[in-house]
Order: sequence, then C-alpha cells, then structure tokens
Amino acid sequence: MTKKPEKTEVGYADLNGADKDLLHTALNRGASRREAIKMMAATGLSVAAAGTIVTSAKDAIAATPKKGGSVKMCPSLHGPDDRLIPAQFTSTVDYTRGRAHYNGLTQLNDDITPRPELAEEFSPNANATEWTFKLRKDVTFHDGSKFTADDVMYTMAQHYGDDSVSVVKTLVSEVKEWKKVGPYEVKAILESPNSDLATLMGEKQFKIMKEGSAEAYNADGTLPPGTGPFTLEDFQPGVRSRHVRNENYWREGANFDEIEVFAITDPVARVNALLSDDVDMVAQVDPKAVKQVESTDGAEIKSTPSSAYFGMCMMLDRGPGQNADFVKGMKFLHRRDKVVKSILKGQGTVGNDHPINQAFGPDFCSELPVRPYDPDQAKFHLDKSGITSAEVNVAEVSPGITDVCLMWQRECSKIGFDLQVKKVPTDGYWGAVWMQTPINVVAWNMRPTATIQLDIAFAPDAPWNDTYWKNERFGQLLQMARSETDPAKRHEIQCEMQTLAHDGSGMIIPAHNNVVDGHGSDIMGIPSLPLGILGGCEWPEFAWKA
Amino acid sequence: MGPMIFRRIVIGFITLWVVSVIVFFGLSILPGDAAAIQLGQAATEESLAALRAQLGLDRPAYIRYFTWLGGMATGDMGISNAGGATIASLIDFRLIKTLELGGIVAVISVPLSIFLGLAAAMYPGTWLDRILTFGTMSLVAVPEFLIATFLVLIFAVKLQWMPSIAYMSGGESLWEWLHALAMPILTLVIVVSAQMIRMTRAGILNVMNSPYIEMAILKGVARKRIILRHALFNAIGPIINVIALNLAYLVSGVVIVETIFAYSGLAKLMIDGVQTRDFPLVQACAMIFCGTYVLLLLTADIGAILSNPRLRKPK
Repeated sequence: MTKKPEKTEVGYADLNGADKDLLHTALNRGASRREAIKMMAATGLSVAAAGTIVTSAKDAIAATPKKGGSVKMCPSLHGPDDRLIPAQFTSTVDYTRGRAHYNGLTQLNDDITPRPELAEEFSPNANATEWTFKLRKDVTFHDGSKFTADDVMYTMAQHYGDDSVSVVKTLVSEVKEWKKVGPYEVKAILESPNSDLATLMGEKQFKIMKEGSAEAYNADGTLPPGTGPFTLEDFQPGVRSRHVRNENYWREGANFDEIEVFAITDPVARVNALLSDDVDMVAQVDPKAVKQVESTDGAEIKSTPSSAYFGMCMMLDRGPGQNADFVKGMKFLHRRDKVVKSILKGQGTVGNDHPINQAFGPDFCSELPVRPYDPDQAKFHLDKSGITSAEVNVAEVSPGITDVCLMWQRECSKIGFDLQVKKVPTDGYWGAVWMQTPINVVAWNMRPTATIQLDIAFAPDAPWNDTYWKNERFGQLLQMARSETDPAKRHEIQCEMQTLAHDGSGMIIPAHNNVVDGHGSDIMGIPSLPLGILGGCEWPEFAWKA
Repeated sequence: MGPMIFRRIVIGFITLWVVSVIVFFGLSILPGDAAAIQLGQAATEESLAALRAQLGLDRPAYIRYFTWLGGMATGDMGISNAGGATIASLIDFRLIKTLELGGIVAVISVPLSIFLGLAAAMYPGTWLDRILTFGTMSLVAVPEFLIATFLVLIFAVKLQWMPSIAYMSGGESLWEWLHALAMPILTLVIVVSAQMIRMTRAGILNVMNSPYIEMAILKGVARKRIILRHALFNAIGPIINVIALNLAYLVSGVVIVETIFAYSGLAKLMIDGVQTRDFPLVQACAMIFCGTYVLLLLTADIGAILSNPRLRKPK
C-alpha cells in the first residue's frame, strides 16, 4: 500500500457484501473506471465518493483471487464426535467441514444479511408468517444427482419430532410446516411471524443434505454427498479431513485445490504451527499470543468484533441473587474497559450487561450508556442487601474469564465484601454447575440475529434463561421484534429489550470477545462474518493463496 | 517356568477385568453422560431424552456393562457413544500411529541408554559420569511439555529445520515421514532415556559392591570385563523392569507429547473418550493400555528369570 486513504473517505472495504460483489464482478469483467463509477453512483453515492471507491477497489482487486494451492487449517478442537450431519454440528471443525462440503438455502454477508445460495430467491409474505424459497435448478450433488425440493424437505424434517437430535430444533420450532410447492419451490409456514427466517437458514446447521443420505451414513458410513465447493476425499473423526475442489460446482467456486482440516488442541502449539509455517490458518489465537503473531513475518492476525460474550450469572431464584440490591450492587463493580484492555488484550469490546453489541449494527442500542465502575453505589446497594459474602463458581469456558472473576473479587474486597472464587473444571461444567449453583459463569457464541441472541438466554420461557430472569414485557417485545420489518421501529423495540436486560437480569457482561484467528500473510480474501472463526467459517469458498 | 507363565496370563486377564469394572464405575461417577456432554450448553430435556434413547443410555448401568463385556468377549468392541463410528475403526489407525512412534523411540532409546548407562558405570567419578548423572537428573526433573515446547521454539520456530507438528497427509516417503516425526521422537527419547540411563548406572554400581566382584577385582580382571561379563547379567533384572515400564509409558502415557505435536495417537483418543463420556471407547483404550503393561511386565519377569538362575526355582 503506497498511500493511506484519509479517514473521512469511504473505501472499497466499507462497502457491503452485495455492492462489493457487484463492483468486483464489473471490474473483473473489464468495466472501465468511468463505467464503474457510474454504476456505484447509481447506488446512491456521490461521484467523488464513487471515484474513491473504485480506486481502492482496483487496489484490492489488483490481487484478484488466484486458483490453486493447498492449505491446512487448524481449529482448536476435534474428536471422535466430529460430525458430517449438519443438524448435529456443534463445533467449529464441523462448521468448517460443512461449509466446504454443503450449501445452505441462503448465505450470510459480512453484515449478517442473507443472500441467495441454493435458494435463488426468497421472500416473506406481508406479516412474515410464510416464507417462499425458490430453488436453483442447476445444482447437482457430488454424486451427480440433481438437487430438488425433496432434498430441502428431507433436511428440514431432521429438525422436527421427538426423536430428532438436531441441536437447533428450538430455533425453527415456530415453523410449523415445510411445504413442497413444486419441484424447485418450498414454503415455510410459521406459527408466529419471523422476519429473520432467511438469515437463520444461512446458519451452519441448516446446510442441505441429499435425501436419505443421513440414514445411509449412520447405517454403513457412506459419506453423505453435498453440493458444496469441495468434495470430501477423506474423513477420520478426531484425526483429519481432506477436501478437493469440486470441478463441477454450480457457481464460480473455490480457489484452493485442496484443503485439510485437523485440530491442534494445545493453544501454544497451534500458534507455533502457524509461526513455523507448517499450517496456513489457525482458529482462536489466545489474546496473549496476538503480539507474537503480529510481530512475525509471514503471519497475520484476523480479529473481527463480534457479539460473542462471557458473563457471570447471578441466579435470581436462589442464593444471594434473590436480593435485588445484591444484584444491582454487583453490577457496579466492573472496570469494563480494563477487562477489554488487560485481560482480552484489546481483542474485544466493552459489554453493558446485555448480550448485544455493535456487531449487530442497527439493532444495537448505542444510546444506552455503559454502566460505570462505581464502588460507592455498589457499596450502598450491597450494604442495603445485608449480604456480606458470596461464592462464584468459575470454569475457564472463555479465555480470561477466571481473571475477570479474580478482578471482581479484588474490587469486592476493596469495599469490604467477601467474594469467594471457586475454580471448577470445564469438563462436565454445563450439566453440573451452569444454571445450578447460585453464581456461575457462562460463554455464548454470537447468534445470527439480535432477536435470537436475546431470545436464547433472556426470554422468559427460554430453557437456557441462565439467571432465571422472567420478564413478561421482555417476552412481548421479543414477539414484536420477530415480526417487525421496519428497521427504525425494530431498533426501538430492541433498545427497550436491551435496557430491560441491562437493568433487570442477573447477568453481568463485562465484555464481548472478538473472533481472533491467525493466518499466513499469503492467505487472502477471508470474509469477516462475525458468526464464527475465520469469517464465520465461510473461508473455504472465498479465501485464496497469493 | 511354564506353569508360572500360565498363572501370570490368568492373573493378567483378571487384572483386565478388574480394570474394566473400575473404569466403568469411574466414568459413571463423572458428572454428565455422553448425551449431556454432546449437547453441552444446548441441552434440553427432550433432546437429552432423544439422544439417550438413541445411544442406549436409558438402559440400567449393569446391563450396559454386561452388554459391553459380552461384546468384548467375542471381539466386538462396540460403537462409539460420541460419533457412532465403530470403536475398532477409531482405534485401528491410532494404535498403528502409537506403535510407530513408540517403536522408533524404543529402538533408539533402549540401546542408547544401556550404552550410556554402562559407560557411566564403567568410569564412575569421571567427567563423563558427572555430565551424564547431572544431565539425566535435570532431564528427569523437567516435565516433558517444557522439553517439547523448548524444542519446538528452537528447531521449528527459530531455526525452521523441523516441522512444529507431526502431521502427515499420507503418502510420505520414509525420509518425509522421519522428518515429520523428528520432534516428538527427540522429545520422547530425551524423556525416557534419562530414566533408563540412571537405572542402568545405578543397577550396575549396586552389583559392583558385592563380594564376588571384589574377588574379581582382586584377581586382577579388567574393569570393562568385570562389568560386561560379571556385573551386567546380575544387574539386568531391574534394568529390564525399568525398560518395560518406559515402553508401556510410550504406548499409554504420551498424551502430552501427542497434544503438543498434534499427533493422533491412542492416549489422546482415550482423553477425548473421557471428555465425551464415551464408555466403549475409554474401555477399549483402557484394555489396550492395561494389556500392554501386563504383557511387558511379564516379558520383563521372564527376562529376569532367564538372566538369574536363582529365580527359576522359587522356594
């Protein structure tokens, strides 16, 4: 890069996914600078701004994706429980393989808006109680068979029924029926409105399988064919998988010739493997190792702000959490900016005791002030509560959370409150400690929409409402948010919900984690979708090797 | 000796059975079962029940145990509770990897340690002996993950001579294969040799104090000859035992080295099994590890008896 653009300018990088695609295709087709500027101006930009964008786009595209190369990518966990059936995907290694192997009905842009994938068109009816998905007609599975609505019907059926072991069952429970309208059209009929169904369909667990392939896989291990950019050549759970570019892919397709996915569980070993150039991409770099990677030639950090969060749950139905003053006081004892700076080493954003942050764009209530660190107020409320000691159970479910609790302990002791920090193992934590002991910790990944993120652990009837906060108004607002399609009104509803959670729930959220991964400097084009590692696990189709 | 070996084999099987019972109850005390761990944070009552039914975890514990035992007796190790693959298919590949790594390390470290141990014993008090004693003492005290990490930092990250992980895509030549394995081999050779060298040296020096050696010295036999002809065979019992224990460790205990070098061996598989509460998998690994110990210790005892006539006729 020779010249740094001024801060006020909008650059190519600031465009949303769709516009970027448009411009990219136009320039690649050989559109002149004038034509490109005209085209961008048509999207509502001033000619000057469009000019800047086209210049920076040309810079970016000077490095146009190159085909070829084979890469090794290492997530942090794998095991005998690695899956190939999307409905059971639970870990990033599964998501990554799923992304290489399958396609979804929709795909998510970096700003978490859906764009067409296997469904070439999708639209809700006026009140979002019915969604129609028109499918592509030119898609074939890796075994050569044609993709039709039957495959979609088959895949969706996996998320229903008492014997379903789908992990996202509850997310689609409001879709009461999937209906095949024609050989290339399906309809989802909803019990209650949901304006986000198309976004949801872009999630990892809703990738489309070929009819009958899950049973065949369970019966004798026949690898299920997908429609995705890579074909699966080798799959050994807990050891590795190898994927080769699908030359018959239904669109432009992947850049790498071959990818290999295997986990390196030890965080230090994972970073070392990247630094010594033995692997090309690693997931989840420990914040403490970020500097080391950045200062090494040939390796880079990719840090994407996300709404993933960790928090301390004071359960409102038992122990000290039953006392409202105790809960209120405790929320004032966190130096949130210090948590981000010293514990997350800057790889995060300040949290405000509700699960939404900037990563959700317009749905984030930026007008709600961040709760300050205020020992006087804390002392006032804690004295009023009459409680003088408590115990928090902490397992390292998110890097640094133990340190956060120790910091909390120090702040407590400064005002004469005795907070015991009890360390417990991560192994078995979710069944034995979380949602059991009066004060414990939790970590949640970012969900595809703010509504789902709020629904999953804060809705009054949510099975994972981890502080037992039951607020009827919040429940009603959730319903309204689901069906609201006007962004301004939706922001208002979102804001009220976030304020309610911020004030009422027993959850302390000091910070949100960035998604922090490492990759070789020669790996380009990794998307920035914040829903998971390496661009929401979307890298296989889009990244390329220079 | 025949009846002795037979008796030991029977005891070996009893040990295996006892271990299987302990492992079974150990696993059932741990919080959460395979279904709860698999669904983790995402568990609900219904999904738990559905998954338990699918995995057969809704049956009483003793039935599950005896079903497994029955299967094991007929050579069927069962199906993984975590992924649905057969245990045999999971273990097969890993066992070979473990034996490959353990085998190379043994071939290098056993002769090396005996040679260095003998050398140290032959010239006690010399600089060679001092270096070996001090060096091995330090290495025994340093945990293996530290040794491994240092080696990676020096040879992989700084010098870039060797890969930092022992990953193979398949189809490597012998040279590539050794190159990929160089770091874990080096780490393990250092770890196991240190102990074996010390034991060889101590064993021989111990025998050197006995009257018959004094006799040999008084007769004017050369020290080299005393050690190789007279002392070594009497000291071999404890040395073989230490070697056997180290070899068994190479099969079952190298989980840290496997983790640091991302090497897919058996020990890591067992840890995965415990973490996912995958009972058939943990049992199968436990049986292999326990079997290895039984077999190697039996071999060590036979070796000791062969080298020491006094042990052949127990009183």
